[in-house]
Amino acid sequence: METVRAFLRHPSGMIGLVLLLVVVVVAIIAPMVFPVSPWEMVGAPFTPPGEDGLWLGGDTLGRDVAAGVAYGARVSLLIGIASALAAMAIGVVIGAISGYFGGKVDLVLMRMTELFQTIPAFVLAILLVATFNPSLLTIILTIGAVSWPPLARLTRAEFLRLRHREFVEAALCQGERTWRIVLGHILPNAISPILVVTSLTVATAILLESALSFMGLGDPNLMSWGFMIGAGRTVIRNAWWMSVFPGLAILLTVLAINLFGEGLSDVLNPRVSRRRS
Amino acid sequence: MSEALQPSAPVLAVDGLSIALPKGGDRPFAVENVSFEIKPNEVVCLVGESGSGKSMIAHAVLQLLPRGVDVVSGTVTVAGQDPSKLDGRGLRKLRGGNAAMIFQEPLSSLNPLKRVGKQVEEMILAHQRPAPAMAAVRERVQTLLTQVGLPNPELLEKSYPFELSGGQRQRVMIAMAMANRPALLIADEPTTALDVTTQRQILRLIDDLRRERGMGVLLITHDFGVVADVADRVVVLRHGKVVEQGTASDVLRNPQAAYTRELIDAVPKARLADIRATIVRPEPLLEVVGLQKTFRVKRGWLQPPREVLAADGISLTLHEGETLAVVGESGSGKSTLGRMIMRLTEPDAGAIRFGGADLRQPRGEALRQARRQLQIVFQDPFASLDPRQKVGDAIARGPMAYGTSRAEAMAQARKLLVRVGLSETAAGRYPHEFSGGQRQRICIARALALKPRVLIADEAVSALDVSVQAQVLALLAELRREMRLAMIFITHDLRIAAEIADRVIVLQRGQIVEEGTTAEVFTAPRQAYTRDLLDAIPGRDFFDQPGFAADARHIAGIESGIDAV
Repeated sequence: METVRAFLRHPSGMIGLVLLLVVVVVAIIAPMVFPVSPWEMVGAPFTPPGEDGLWLGGDTLGRDVAAGVAYGARVSLLIGIASALAAMAIGVVIGAISGYFGGKVDLVLMRMTELFQTIPAFVLAILLVATFNPSLLTIILTIGAVSWPPLARLTRAEFLRLRHREFVEAALCQGERTWRIVLGHILPNAISPILVVTSLTVATAILLESALSFMGLGDPNLMSWGFMIGAGRTVIRNAWWMSVFPGLAILLTVLAINLFGEGLSDVLNPRVSRRRS
Repeated sequence: MSEALQPSAPVLAVDGLSIALPKGGDRPFAVENVSFEIKPNEVVCLVGESGSGKSMIAHAVLQLLPRGVDVVSGTVTVAGQDPSKLDGRGLRKLRGGNAAMIFQEPLSSLNPLKRVGKQVEEMILAHQRPAPAMAAVRERVQTLLTQVGLPNPELLEKSYPFELSGGQRQRVMIAMAMANRPALLIADEPTTALDVTTQRQILRLIDDLRRERGMGVLLITHDFGVVADVADRVVVLRHGKVVEQGTASDVLRNPQAAYTRELIDAVPKARLADIRATIVRPEPLLEVVGLQKTFRVKRGWLQPPREVLAADGISLTLHEGETLAVVGESGSGKSTLGRMIMRLTEPDAGAIRFGGADLRQPRGEALRQARRQLQIVFQDPFASLDPRQKVGDAIARGPMAYGTSRAEAMAQARKLLVRVGLSETAAGRYPHEFSGGQRQRICIARALALKPRVLIADEAVSALDVSVQAQVLALLAELRREMRLAMIFITHDLRIAAEIADRVIVLQRGQIVEEGTTAEVFTAPRQAYTRDLLDAIPGRDFFDQPGFAADARHIAGIESGIDAV
């Protein structure tokens, strides 16, 4: 409760949260505001913003850009959050095992992590999506698979820090089982920074998804911001609105998540929040 | 106060000082209406328990108060200047110039990435105008390091802080403080992090330097033993208010306030305890034979690893109901010994037998079962409780891990909380709501929840205030009688060992140098090392004086103190 209250007093964190809520609301009400599918041609091609009842204009085929942006929010948020959670699941498990058991296990897992870290994430993502059929699920898994190394490293570092703390050793002497020590004592004390990094991973996941869609590697059935920018890119000089509005949507969403994540980090890190008070 | 005694002006005058705490604290003022003076060549001790506001005063003198904590009334005058009226430049000149400060933890007060010689040099260069020639500065650094009693200053000035021992680091801090011949030295618990022998050396050094240069010293401490050794005058603080002040001998011999008396009485006097274990069974409960452990610390790529001998053939026995104290300086391997018995650190060689069974063999589930009989209480009560676990859960988890039902374990936990002097409602609260002494009681309850036969107390009272120490010790003594516990009491403080132990083992560099009953070791030590340790007990001269009737009062103090927490 105290954390929530502290967050409510955090100015930039609150701006992030409000922006993020706006995006979430847009994603939720999209089908109500735009009952027609965003793929449907509803106006003349190249309709400028404000004409023909299209607030943000129409694209090269006369599809409603505003509807695209609203439906795109659903895709971006879903993929962003789901793939960040996937990355967290992989990262925390690998980091926890590595940090808790150490020794050879740690050596093997960390070399594997480094392997993933040395390959540029985007190149690997392209490779994976191109290999499998691009669908919502494969895109989520792909983004998850290229985003976990920082989370694994962080979790490992936290576990190494906490592993030999006296309260953990006390639990060991109390006869608690390994899984209880890991889940009941170490993880809860390591979770704050992990949550912060996960929330920031949502932002990078949204950017990754947009970049994949921009290159035409997204799920062809989903209207996404990246796809819209990619489609409007060739005509940006005479129809700026086709790329600028989805671009703004990406900018605002990523900014909102970053502000929210930083606010979370300040609130969860007692030393920083003390400085603020 | 005794203004008329000395004609010279005070180096520090604190007059009616009040410092406000931010709203929502446990009290409105950190310090309320405090006045005292320090004259040249005088040591004034500021004594009080943690939270009494003694450090706040020191920080206020040098304008180092944290944000949100402000002086609301009163004045501070350091060598004729009011620090609160100085601008940035004047303040910088004052700090480390006329008034220098040394802190409790020398490791965190030195820059870890700079050679110590450079750090002392910086102090001189920052203050002396016109800047002296480099050659002169170097020479001065050498002189300072020699003066603070550091061996081989040429080599030492090129060392990094982590390469020095705690005592050496504190000496470097003192050298830095002395660099500009301050009129006032503020020492905030300068020896609390050090062991007894080093503590005595550092106190003696401060005292010598004070005499030599006639500076005033403000020494902050919670230990009346230290007061007895070095103080000219004493200011006793409680909850931010001055309870009593006067000359050291007056206050020590004839304390006016009940609180002062309590603090003096709480000083462990190294009087032999009169609780003797009656050993029923001849065969030992715990037996350690030839334990061996060497730590290898990697240094550089090319340098060979540094080897630290933590245990070199340690053998000991422990009977049911008996308390064995393991004493030694830091680095003597005493904590490692306790950890090896708990199997938290693996020994290189040797045997540990518990009730006839080998304790070194079991792994996994067997080790879990074996550990049930042995429990440990750690030094730092703040680090040894999970901040996110309720106190009741912390205690109940142990029995639950061995199959006791939750309801039963919780009921037992509540009973134990009452037994260690807390209330049943404590079970539903989080550790941060408790003071250090209360937390240590919780840790003891947690260890006892499993009904162990051996309890290892690893510096279990070292992090506590002296008065709280006495209460926790009394609790431990009671519990061991009640539960027929065998106890290994690891401590660097011989006074405590004397009060609680039946037998004592003195460790030095991983070896047992002396072993015997407490009476033997304390009255007729065979080894020079043991004698050094005994001589280093702070306040020993004073409290051992004939006619100082500490004993009766001391015991009464412990008994009345139990309920007070």
